[in-house]
Amino acid sequence: MDVSKYAALFLAESREHVSACNQLLLEWERDPGAVEPVGGLFRSIHTIKGMAATMGFTGVADLSHRTENLLDALRHGRAAPRPETFQLLFRAVDALGRAIEGAGTGSEPPADEVLGSEIDTAAGATVGDQRPGAIAPSANQTRPVQVTIRSGALMRGARASLVLRRAEAMGRVTALRPPAAQLEREDFDGRFSFRLESEASDDEVAAALCTAGDVEAIRFEQTSPAEAAIGIRGRQIRVDLGRLDALMKQVGELVVAKNRLIVLAAAAQDPLFEELSDRIARLVSGMQGEVIAARMAPVGEVFDRFPRLLRDVARDLGKRIRFDMEGEEIELDRSILDEIGEPLLHLIRNAADHGIETPERRTASGKPAEGRILLSASRERNSVALRVSDDGRGIDRAAILAKARREEMADASVETLTDDLLLRVLARPGFSTAEAVSGVSGRGVGVDAVMTRVRALGGTLDVKSEVGRGTTFTIRVPLTLAIVRALLAVAGNERYAVPLAYVAETVEFDPGAVTSVRSREALLVRDRVIPTVHLRHLVAGAAGPAPPRRPTIILEVGDRRTALVVDALMGQQDIVVEPFDAPRGMPPFVGGATILADGAPALILDAAALL
Amino acid sequence: MSHTVLVCDDAIFMRTMISDILAQAGFQVVGEAESGVQAVEKYHQLKPDLVTMDIVMPDMGGIEAVREICKTDPEAKILMCSAMGQQALVVEAIQAGAKDFVVKPFQPSRVLEAVQRVLG
Repeated sequence: MDVSKYAALFLAESREHVSACNQLLLEWERDPGAVEPVGGLFRSIHTIKGMAATMGFTGVADLSHRTENLLDALRHGRAAPRPETFQLLFRAVDALGRAIEGAGTGSEPPADEVLGSEIDTAAGATVGDQRPGAIAPSANQTRPVQVTIRSGALMRGARASLVLRRAEAMGRVTALRPPAAQLEREDFDGRFSFRLESEASDDEVAAALCTAGDVEAIRFEQTSPAEAAIGIRGRQIRVDLGRLDALMKQVGELVVAKNRLIVLAAAAQDPLFEELSDRIARLVSGMQGEVIAARMAPVGEVFDRFPRLLRDVARDLGKRIRFDMEGEEIELDRSILDEIGEPLLHLIRNAADHGIETPERRTASGKPAEGRILLSASRERNSVALRVSDDGRGIDRAAILAKARREEMADASVETLTDDLLLRVLARPGFSTAEAVSGVSGRGVGVDAVMTRVRALGGTLDVKSEVGRGTTFTIRVPLTLAIVRALLAVAGNERYAVPLAYVAETVEFDPGAVTSVRSREALLVRDRVIPTVHLRHLVAGAAGPAPPRRPTIILEVGDRRTALVVDALMGQQDIVVEPFDAPRGMPPFVGGATILADGAPALILDAAALL
Repeated sequence: MSHTVLVCDDAIFMRTMISDILAQAGFQVVGEAESGVQAVEKYHQLKPDLVTMDIVMPDMGGIEAVREICKTDPEAKILMCSAMGQQALVVEAIQAGAKDFVVKPFQPSRVLEAVQRVLG
């Protein structure tokens, strides 16, 4: 049998198992007394072994076989997990990952005999070798819970949320699969899983969850990664991302054509033509929504690798760091997701390296010895906010301000450094010079790189920091890149598109409400002072006097606002963001270009750059 | 002593039916409310062991009423009465503090099962 055509599938599925192994190892290491992780690990490694043997990848099969032996010994208490054992297992999983990548792409790396024999030795070691106290089962154990709602039950999703409420009453619920939003869907089959951190025994948990009613089964084991990846069983297929990209591009073209059609139909004044154009417009919008939805993936896919990574970083730095993640189920466009990993990694590394203090120093300043880093995702209107917060030392503003003054980014009259200015200084290319590293805790290392990446995605970066309390970086990115809903504004003879994701509201420019803030013109809108920007002052070629009535767009990014004064508004339109290499001399507030419904090009304004 | 119940629904038909089901099972229906506002008032006044609450009612809907009641009494035992297709609302009610739900059309056995679960 020719198995080569299964190579891609082998690779994809094995990767999922390797990723699951890393998660399980982390969990197990945190709570060496727990029994579920080792069971899950064993199953994943066993699956990899079977697939690799079928494919004829002997190296992968051999390594997974030996690892499986070790896990089996651990599982049955013949060997005891020690810190070295975890380190060894992490190395084994890494080696497996490399071997799988190699084998999947046609060049299996040579077997690492040293690692292999270490694994064998560990598997042969007896429990007698165990150091006293090596196993420290924690009182608060985290266990996987799988729940099945009876198939005849009405409103299975609502029933599931009752079960979750019962679970939340007993402890912390995490890693809900499928995500909450999917529970309410018609095709939710009544099976879901989560992790529960609670002191209660399995029996107590089961009894409490059953009081939610219509519960058919409760099991305390890990869903296999394959099942978890599939989510709603049997309702998903794998599609090559290239195909989705191609489909998206086609739909993008279709949207532009649709917009033109609407304009033509309106001009033709033929009821039949108009009806048809309406119908096509609705179909295209529906199709666009479906394609965008198909491209969405939960941020958890990117988050998943961070716990392992942070563990290694913390270990190297000799720090104790607890890493938590929230909002893993929030979805983002695949293409943004692929780009966002690296900036996040940068920020997380920074937080561990420069934010979190050493355990001694933390204890000395009255903080818990273990530092905390939280990575969270949340939905904000048409964008997603990704936050990296640490409870570390915070940024030394005095030092940064001194530097800003030296570099003439702030004049002597500036006495305090706002978060805004702080970010501008941090994001200066080359800020991470030795001078900064010593005096200013090295913050800013790579912030310029993060900023560049995030801006390229049409996103924004924010920082908030408090000395001694910690620092939070927030990345905001649009839900999807390719097609965005935008407000069309006019200044002079040109039209500009402002993505709706950042539009809070539109108001009329009222000369009576003009005030000033820090010697800048500002507008008083419902008791809030908002600095103004006049679009016609920004762009060249806006000749002639400003019209008497001037609509004003209130832009909002995070909690910062700007009032953008324009000549006129021309309604909303779906615009297809064209790839855009900014020509030299292009002002920074231009984020891209698009073709409007009438075929004319227009520039897309970058809201963040206008703030 | 039998458990006391407050029945909240804007339709007399539904109130009568629920009251009958519960009365036949030995519960004591101590009050009825036909709006969310009334439900909150009567809850505080009667302190019933159990409340059945319709989702859609005039003058403050059922979900808002659950929220109000749970504000002062988070342990209030409230059973939501919903119709097919209201799943999102039921989930919202549960998040607001409702302890269980039944789906119309009611089967007496289902209603009583849910009531037993809520009363624990």
